[in-house]
Amino acid sequence: MVLRTIVVSIAGSSGSLVTAKYAIALAKLLSVKLVALYVVNVKVLQDLLKSRIFVDVEARVYERDLEQQGAAILERISKMAKEKNIEFEGCLMKGVISDEVLNKTQELHADLLVMGELKEMASRADVFYDEGERILRRSPCPVVMVKNPAMVETLYKEMGP
Amino acid sequence: MRFSDYLTKESCVMDLKAVTKEDAIRELADVLAQQGRVSDEGDFIKHVMEREKLGSTGIGNHVAIPHCPTRSVKGVVVAFGRSKQGVDFQSVDGHEVNHLFLMGTNPEDLNVYLKLLATLSKLLNDRMFRREFGDAATPDELIAVFKKHEK
Repeated sequence: MVLRTIVVSIAGSSGSLVTAKYAIALAKLLSVKLVALYVVNVKVLQDLLKSRIFVDVEARVYERDLEQQGAAILERISKMAKEKNIEFEGCLMKGVISDEVLNKTQELHADLLVMGELKEMASRADVFYDEGERILRRSPCPVVMVKNPAMVETLYKEMGP
Repeated sequence: MRFSDYLTKESCVMDLKAVTKEDAIRELADVLAQQGRVSDEGDFIKHVMEREKLGSTGIGNHVAIPHCPTRSVKGVVVAFGRSKQGVDFQSVDGHEVNHLFLMGTNPEDLNVYLKLLATLSKLLNDRMFRREFGDAATPDELIAVFKKHEK
């Protein structure tokens, strides 16, 4: 069996870089291409518009800011991948996070999906509505969930260029 | 992500003194500043008021959620205020506001902030939640209502 592509889902949280580092380490170890996905959560903006907490112009500014943040984090991961001599591609998308990540994973015929740790469940509803849970349950390929940031940092540092 | 993780009893004012929109926002911003959650209170209030100029955050049912992103706050901040006499917020339904949630975020934490706003919106759409939340007399009771409905 030949592995060709690993996909990593980047949530934009503080733990995202740790997730990316582990994905880079895996891509290097397996000599495969790494594709990082960042999804601008347009659904939440639409919901806040509908509930009148946001106004149009405000939602557009948030969307632009989230896009810029996504582009910045993908650029940073691209540099990290380059330092480790890994074939890399960043994808900035918009929509419902789980739908976009799963569709892209399917489209790329990815062999492995890497994602951050699931947050603590606040309620039973989280099992159905949490984006991370949805990705984990519906992924078309095996999923690696990154834990233990300290271990990941050590692994990443010890890995050569 | 639980809203109740961000709402502390120290940031709940159960009897706001302010009667105007700006004073109510200022009173709640003061509470956050006293807790060291706001590095530049004047700048925070300025941004919140600029957001209000785009359209009132009085969303109806006597609730307002003034909010903004600004580098003047640390992480995501939430303060709650209840006004017995009511505050004129130019709400969408024309009613005065009795419950205010002042929220702010550092731009680095936008994703968390948006999810918390969405969570609050969902809770406020629930009639049962609104009733229990309206009946809560103390900060502890208020937070307990959030925790109950977020389970």
